[in-house]
Amino acid sequence: CYTHQANPSHSGPVTHRPGNQLTLCSLLEMGFSETQAKEMHEGATKSRWKHVPSVLTALLLLGLNPSTILKIMQKCPEVYSLKGADLQQRIDHLRKMGLVEGSLQRMISHYPKVMLLPVKRVNMVPRLLREKCLFTIHQVTDILRDSPEVLEEDLAQLEFKFQYVYFRMGVRQPEMVKAKLFRLPLSELRCRHCFLERRGLYQTPDKKGQTLILNPPLKDVLCVSEETYLTQVAMATAEEFHVFRKLMAREQEEKGREDEYSSDE
Amino acid sequence: TKWVSPKFPATELALHNFDTSYSKQLRGLWPSIRVAMLCEQKYGALINSFSSAPNVITELERFNRARTCCSSTQYKSQYQMSCFPKGDISRFKPARPDSSGILGYYLLDAASVLPVLALDVQPGRTVLDLCAAPGGKTLVLLQTHSVTNDLSGSRTMRLCRTLQSYLPKEFLDENKIHITSTDGRQLRMTEEKSFDRVLVDIPCTTDKHSAMVEENNVFKRSRTKERQKLPLLQTQLLLSGIQATRQGGNVVYSTCSLSQLQNECVVQQAISLAQQELGITVQVQDLRWFAQRFSDTFHFAPQLSVGELILPHLRANFGPIYMCKLQRMN
Ligand SMILES: C[S@@+](CC[C@H](N)C(=O)[O-])C[C@H]1O[C@@H](n2cnc3c(N)ncnc32)[C@H](O)[C@@H]1O
Repeated sequence: CYTHQANPSHSGPVTHRPGNQLTLCSLLEMGFSETQAKEMHEGATKSRWKHVPSVLTALLLLGLNPSTILKIMQKCPEVYSLKGADLQQRIDHLRKMGLVEGSLQRMISHYPKVMLLPVKRVNMVPRLLREKCLFTIHQVTDILRDSPEVLEEDLAQLEFKFQYVYFRMGVRQPEMVKAKLFRLPLSELRCRHCFLERRGLYQTPDKKGQTLILNPPLKDVLCVSEETYLTQVAMATAEEFHVFRKLMAREQEEKGREDEYSSDE
Repeated sequence: TKWVSPKFPATELALHNFDTSYSKQLRGLWPSIRVAMLCEQKYGALINSFSSAPNVITELERFNRARTCCSSTQYKSQYQMSCFPKGDISRFKPARPDSSGILGYYLLDAASVLPVLALDVQPGRTVLDLCAAPGGKTLVLLQTHSVTNDLSGSRTMRLCRTLQSYLPKEFLDENKIHITSTDGRQLRMTEEKSFDRVLVDIPCTTDKHSAMVEENNVFKRSRTKERQKLPLLQTQLLLSGIQATRQGGNVVYSTCSLSQLQNECVVQQAISLAQQELGITVQVQDLRWFAQRFSDTFHFAPQLSVGELILPHLRANFGPIYMCKLQRMN
């Protein structure tokens, strides 16, 4: 910072005006390295953000380090157009929902968009998960931590995904949480499940919950890379699965069209 | 009225039966075959050489990515089959009639022409198509004089309709083709030893159909007896086909099932019965070269004791088709 202060004739960014103006100096003081500070500053100037310092303060108070904060700016620049107070309110709200220290930071750094969602929206998904899908409060928190994207999903779609796994696959809530179910789009879930089912490697349990074969645990189906899924669980080649995916997409598309016709009647 | 699904749908019974027997018979190959049987099957377009619609082939092959997989230039018979390459799931459009109402191509499981190909029909030869309806293979056979037979009257009607949609009227009038409807097990004296080529495309468990379609499903509880008697009926029909063949002539036996019991076992049984009871010696003809020549299009089973088997596979979802070629020695 010395060089700048030694040159008071320089105006503009170097002038340290606390409040709503961001300066390189203040960034350095916050603990950003010189390059990080420059990048941050450039971003802020380019997009004419107004409340950056208060946003930064809120994020720093949360315990996020400068490199994470920079990453957030790159991933989701809109965060910096928030008012510091709004941001703080949303963070507090997430805490109240049961996201403890560690989980909260993880969620925000992986999915900064959560800070842009209105409180109302953020409430809807957990309520659905609790009331319609009968997850416990604790499980809901785990879901939010592991797959915050769930907050943005269409509610009907979300419920359908749950029902698919519950009824069609015969899997209960604790296993769904372990398998980080809500990270996967429904189409992918359906693809992996139906592929196994048609290969004779997965069965829907009967009313007593029994199957003739031993179903693989949900997390071994969903929570692994496609390669692992194919070699360890489906025992199939990538070429087969690739064709299957195309066929499934067409099947679904045609089924959707049929449903449309029949609901028109 | 709403269709009420039965407690045990026949498709489920079929699958259960397949899981039990085919997982033993085909072991590690079974899951890949199973998933293919439960997905949309692939078709081939048999180009109708009687159609006057211009450039059916060019149209099919230019606008689609379809390729000719078996054709007349290679095999001296007048047909050409087009299908999409491995892994390509495109579909053919339904065929359109030309100015005289004849359809440009016939869509069928491309693998089902292989038994006809194996039969090696040439102009001037006499052919018997013992179980012909609805007529897919008959169409392929039709450049020679042939007799076409099917036990079922209603199915024979269907066969006639197929022929009318694909053949010019003059051709049907010329008596080049004889359609009969009798029990293939009871050949008349005149038919004995009188054909150069006999196709025995047998009634079987039609595995793909049975796994997918409830209607007319042979795995219905009420049809258990009929199903259990299939190998017997198949053996009798094949024997009858052997009897109808001239010395030096060929019989091709084919099914659309994976079942060893309906395939290899029936062939072996018929060979020994022909010898013991009728004094007819038949020899199995090698079709291994098929597997090499057509491996681009079809997925062949590893070597069987007799005959060749095309396995359904997601990348080439044709079959199952089993075929075995026999030659009558005396
Ligand atoms: C697999 S299908 C034939 C398909 C036909 N070759 C095609 O390519 O379109 C078997 C046929 O055998 C007929 N069939 C059953 N029992 C028979 C018998 N005893 N004699 C002659 N035909 C019989 C059935 O009516 C059925 O049409």
